[in-house]
Amino acid sequence: MHDHRSDQGERYLDSNLHKVILIGNPNVGKSALFGLLTGKYVTVSNYPGTTVEVTYGNAVLNKVRTLVIDTPGVNSLVPMSEDEKVTRDILLTDRAGVVVQVADTKNLRRGLMITLQLAEMEVPFILDLNMDDEAKSRGILIDQDVLSQLLGIEVVKTVAIRKSGIDKLLKGIQHPRPSPARVRYDDAIEAGVRDIAALLPEAFMSRRALALMVLSGDESLKGWLHANLQDHVVADIEKTRQTTQAKFNNSLGYLINQRRMKKADEILAQVLSLHEAGKGSALAFYIGKWSMHPVYGLPILLAVLYLVYQFVGVLGAGTAVNFLEKTVFGGYLNPWATKIVNFVFPFKFIQELLIGDYGLITMALTYAIAIVLPIVGFFFIAFSLLEDSGYLPRLAVMVNKVFKIMGLNGKAVLPMILGLGCDTMATLTTRILETKKERILVTLLLALGVPCSAQLGVILGMVAGLSGLATFIWLGTLLAMMLLVGYLAAKIIPGEPSDFVLELPPIRVPQLSNILIKTLARVQWYLKEAVPLFILGTFLLFVGHKVGALAYIQKITDPIVVNFLGLPSRAAEAFVIGFLRRDYGAAGLFMLSKEGLLDPVQIVVSLTVMTLFIPCIANFFMMVKERGMRTALYMAAFIFPFAFGVGGLLNYILRTMKVTLL
Amino acid sequence: MSDHKRIDIIEGKAGHPALCILPEIEKEDELFEAIWTLREDGTLAWDAIIETCLIDKCEETLKDLSKSGWIEVKGQAVELLPKGEKRAKELVRRHRLSLRMFYDLFALDGAEAEACKFEHILSPEVTDSVCTLLGHPPNSPDGKPIPRGECCAMFRQEMKPLVAPLADLTPGEQAKIVFITPGSHSRLDRLSAMGVVPGSVVKLHQKRPSYVIQLGETMIAVDKDITKEIFVKKL
Repeated sequence: MHDHRSDQGERYLDSNLHKVILIGNPNVGKSALFGLLTGKYVTVSNYPGTTVEVTYGNAVLNKVRTLVIDTPGVNSLVPMSEDEKVTRDILLTDRAGVVVQVADTKNLRRGLMITLQLAEMEVPFILDLNMDDEAKSRGILIDQDVLSQLLGIEVVKTVAIRKSGIDKLLKGIQHPRPSPARVRYDDAIEAGVRDIAALLPEAFMSRRALALMVLSGDESLKGWLHANLQDHVVADIEKTRQTTQAKFNNSLGYLINQRRMKKADEILAQVLSLHEAGKGSALAFYIGKWSMHPVYGLPILLAVLYLVYQFVGVLGAGTAVNFLEKTVFGGYLNPWATKIVNFVFPFKFIQELLIGDYGLITMALTYAIAIVLPIVGFFFIAFSLLEDSGYLPRLAVMVNKVFKIMGLNGKAVLPMILGLGCDTMATLTTRILETKKERILVTLLLALGVPCSAQLGVILGMVAGLSGLATFIWLGTLLAMMLLVGYLAAKIIPGEPSDFVLELPPIRVPQLSNILIKTLARVQWYLKEAVPLFILGTFLLFVGHKVGALAYIQKITDPIVVNFLGLPSRAAEAFVIGFLRRDYGAAGLFMLSKEGLLDPVQIVVSLTVMTLFIPCIANFFMMVKERGMRTALYMAAFIFPFAFGVGGLLNYILRTMKVTLL
Repeated sequence: MSDHKRIDIIEGKAGHPALCILPEIEKEDELFEAIWTLREDGTLAWDAIIETCLIDKCEETLKDLSKSGWIEVKGQAVELLPKGEKRAKELVRRHRLSLRMFYDLFALDGAEAEACKFEHILSPEVTDSVCTLLGHPPNSPDGKPIPRGECCAMFRQEMKPLVAPLADLTPGEQAKIVFITPGSHSRLDRLSAMGVVPGSVVKLHQKRPSYVIQLGETMIAVDKDITKEIFVKKL
């Protein structure tokens, strides 16, 4: 999720550095291997689609400085979604490096689909059979020597997360070869391949492979063709494709895949032997089965939610926050800081800037470190556990039908759940969705209704003191609004929903080391990303306070904040900083409620408004980057008035019905 | 099917001259058929066979059959010996199934004449395929029972057609993909890239809340619509 992806990839690509490119099916351990080779952590999780962008890292392999490239997983090198296109484009436009195909040993059949395509491309590569331990425990044994002979390339076995087999992999990398393995297609298709290949330009992969991509109906290749060929040649190519397709009832892509699969099966028959499976995976199998059972699935989901709430809301937002805020900051740090600042800077202005009501230390750092940090820290641990267990994709099976109402399918649950970690990164992962319509819908719903970890923690802390009914009203309003907005937006936004086809990874016992490294990486990211914005927000408040703008904003927003939402005047401050980061805004509300300035209804109303806000400035920038300025502005113009509107309505209903919520 | 081709086949089997319109083997077939039908009516006797017989040299052929161990003749009584029983049963089965096919499927006049040609040339596999295609019919159009074949026994056991949509499997069942009728090209391209192609063995895990299938060690959650388009044969 929160990786530091390098934007200098383009520059790296042109350099003459040795390159190793990791390619393979989704969820086969490419990122784990990348981490092992480079020592650089990228998020490793147990579900397909964790990596949506290319990641670059430097390493010294076999005493040579090497650029290691991690790519999003693909099932075919004819891309079906944006993240898959990225991987194919690396092979298309990059000067040859060593390609390492990473395959899941127990799913070698699908891995061979990629192998055969790499062979067609005539790129030098080696094959890494990863997760060899899982295959063994299932009684699946692959004869790597025979496989190596059949494919004519180096084949090595690894277990990346246990760091086993890496020395052999490094040795193998020194001898990459193009594989002579070929698939023969139907005569009419072969004729089409010949005709198209004759028209294609020189590229980093064979013309035959490119021609097969064209025949498979690869739309994403059009741009490249137009850039490299004259228009009339592109038209000729398209004509050949159409006449070839006209000879068959089924799509050419399917017919081509079918032949490849047949070849893969032939190879597999010679290298695979089955033995009795170990019993280790039986429990995991049943957990996986029950977690998507029509009856047991729901109680399991509720149990998971309850445990997360206990861990994050009670332990994190309660115990840990109290300790840090009251004892560490309230008891020691802030009094010390006050003394030191008063002693060092005898100027009232600087004293107020650092330790006043809107002080950078007493407010910004206290909020960021004492309130939000422990909460996100606990959340990241819980979330990493869920990610690595393989539970999240099974959630998609549970909610597929509900998501259909919103013009989406179960697959969209992945970015939505990631949004609970960080909406900004989740907006990036909408790339795993197949249609533009789905990507827009999920981006909108993320910005509108999915509270991120920092905010969620603060909210859990606030509602923990209230009745279950309060939590229920907040959550119910949120879900109802997302459903309503999703339903309506699905009607308005043009385009078709896509099929629900999602691979479910096996349930695995999370690795403690990965959980810790991942949590630390995310906490580090949070500190870098959030704290500067907290300081900026506090500074704006301080300036606003000094020049009287804050009082003025409060005065003009009073009709909305006080009359319409029924909140105290000072809540306006929280909303102002909520524009920067809504967790910061929520933390402001947290303080107000701690000071006893909010009654239960006010807490629920203010939280609802804050949750419906766009998560943070960074999230808005990500929306602009991924969806374009116009779409992002439309969304913002809808979301803010909508948030206040829903809050006002909720306030009106709760007040009229005299709900107490204590 | 042309006459010429038909005779070729017969020639290949029995080595008879191509010009013969009703070769020896077909004469025998006619007799076996007559014996089976008379037995059904309960009027099987030497004289009755000669009476209903449409071929020339009827008595001669009957004696030949008796000599080579197809039938047993004791005065008027005629009985099918085991290998004769088998041949007669298969022949009548082919005849009546062909009748059924021309009658039901092609709604053809003169079904009887066509069926008479077909009964001699259907191979056992094609016969079973025709039977399955027609849903293992119990009777011919004239109401006479069609002798059961092996395919019908399997059918009775399973009480389901051999090839059915994946969606119709019971959770936990395994099947082999026979063919796929694609709703859209892109759907098929995606599925085939994950290994969903004819010949693959697939297991249905569950139907609710969503369909989950397994291929090898890969579990895939899919829409119900998709499983309706994948046709499988149970294992």
